[in-house]
Amino acid sequence: MYIERRTPLKKAQLFGILERLCEWLEPSPTQADRAKTSYEAVGQWIAGGEGEWLASSSIYLQGSTALGTTVKPIGRNEYDVDLVCHIPGLARWLPPALCKQLVGDRLKESQRYRAILEEKPRCWRLNYANEFHLDITPSIPNDACVNRGELVPDKALRCWKATNPKGYRDAFQRRAELVPQMRLLKSFAEDGVRADADIEPFPERPRFKGLLCRIAQIAKRHRDTFFLSRDAALAPISVIITTLAAWSYEYCVRSAVFDSELDVLCAVIRHMPDFIGRQVVVGRVEWSIWNETTEGENFAERWNAEPAYAKAFFNWHAAAMADLERLTQSEGLDRLSEVLTESFGQEPTAELMHAMFASVAAARRTGTLALATSVGLTTARIAGATPVRANTFYGAP
Amino acid sequence: MWFDRPRPLTVAQQYLNLGANPACAGKGRLYGNMMSWHLPVTPTPFSRCYSARLEYRQGTSPQVFIDDPDLPVLADGRRLPHVYEQAPTRLCLFLPGSGEWGAWMRLDQTIVPWTALWLLYFEEWLYSGEWAGGGLHPILRERAHSRGRRRIGPRVRSAGASS
Repeated sequence: MYIERRTPLKKAQLFGILERLCEWLEPSPTQADRAKTSYEAVGQWIAGGEGEWLASSSIYLQGSTALGTTVKPIGRNEYDVDLVCHIPGLARWLPPALCKQLVGDRLKESQRYRAILEEKPRCWRLNYANEFHLDITPSIPNDACVNRGELVPDKALRCWKATNPKGYRDAFQRRAELVPQMRLLKSFAEDGVRADADIEPFPERPRFKGLLCRIAQIAKRHRDTFFLSRDAALAPISVIITTLAAWSYEYCVRSAVFDSELDVLCAVIRHMPDFIGRQVVVGRVEWSIWNETTEGENFAERWNAEPAYAKAFFNWHAAAMADLERLTQSEGLDRLSEVLTESFGQEPTAELMHAMFASVAAARRTGTLALATSVGLTTARIAGATPVRANTFYGAP
Repeated sequence: MWFDRPRPLTVAQQYLNLGANPACAGKGRLYGNMMSWHLPVTPTPFSRCYSARLEYRQGTSPQVFIDDPDLPVLADGRRLPHVYEQAPTRLCLFLPGSGEWGAWMRLDQTIVPWTALWLLYFEEWLYSGEWAGGGLHPILRERAHSRGRRRIGPRVRSAGASS
């Protein structure tokens, strides 16, 4: 009975910890506001340029910032904010290099932007030190795409590549809005105690960003940590993780009922590889993860040129599954901290533990800490819980 | 005044209270003015399940031992903080003579929650090497007394939960 009731609690609270981790990984609301102000200003500056092409341009978010799946990069302070500068007046006969030049030239006309401008293979980067950088990729309409897709320069700036950032975002958001079915556990229902936020040990934060965003963030951070000690160039790109997570999430939500959010997380990660296309063509494996919102964008394109990419994905995936399993199985805050450190890094783990113990210390001071059956120590108000009186641990150090 | 002082609870009363408090669910034995109570303690759902043993005899301080798992083994050679004995591990849960605990107080409302709290800080100590639970050490305390109100170094004060 004791164990039976503890496991769901543990799962609920583990997911609470992972959610806090995600909050730590995200830009603060202030940073997000500042990024927004900055990119809107850049958009206005570009549109204010001479010539009708730029005048009709608009700037919008793409990638993780648009989806809400941003994670803090390891080892530097700046978040990536990916932007598209869409120029509807341009057609595909225009060389991509020229289109990129057009945007770059306009940025250089501003003294402010010139000072922080950096050229990347297919975009322009504005570096706001210690805050974020804005990556601005020019795009033109793709008349051949039925989903109102766009074209962006390829890495070599030789040709245009089909993409559809807006369509991708809409498809992701449609899936993110799906809510998994949760089983209310019988033992909790009987007690009137439920395995949710009400009995988090030290509840403090408001819930809750969509589960899919959280899953993508957790997977991406695990990837970043995993490839720290490996060949980082082989790490699966974010769009692959996000796409597979979104497809797997839809599949899991539609096909199963879950006991906890942690179970959803594990199931979604487990099923991610099921959505990778694999075909053997003349003795060679062809991988595909097609962008469903346009024609001809294979996110796994590089895997076909270099099989090491595919191998790196599967290695990472196996490690992620194993670490989630270890997380669920760990006994002891010390073991939990170790697994969290190995999976997501020392800094956020220390931060999480610090926050947890700060709430315990505050609750001890204010007399709001209590001991409850099967929950343990808690600051949540639970009927029948025994308050923890003030005490001083004595004895040799 | 003498009639203001609360009356000590008998061992039998303590024993009954332990049995009646769901947070202290366990098994015990009562013999005359002595008792022992065995209970599983899990400070958080992430924590281990510890087998604690509470020994109490009328007129003495209650003693808490952790029988399982073996804490010195978990500590892997490091000396456990805030214990009277390393093995069998006996926990220092309150400041003797401070009034934090007295014989009129219920064990299930003091000693047991403090045991859970001790174990919570113990698990954190295993990971970080720092005892975040505050507290006093005998030598420092003597020194502190001789200097009036000043108690102990900054770590303990910053933990803020020691009074």
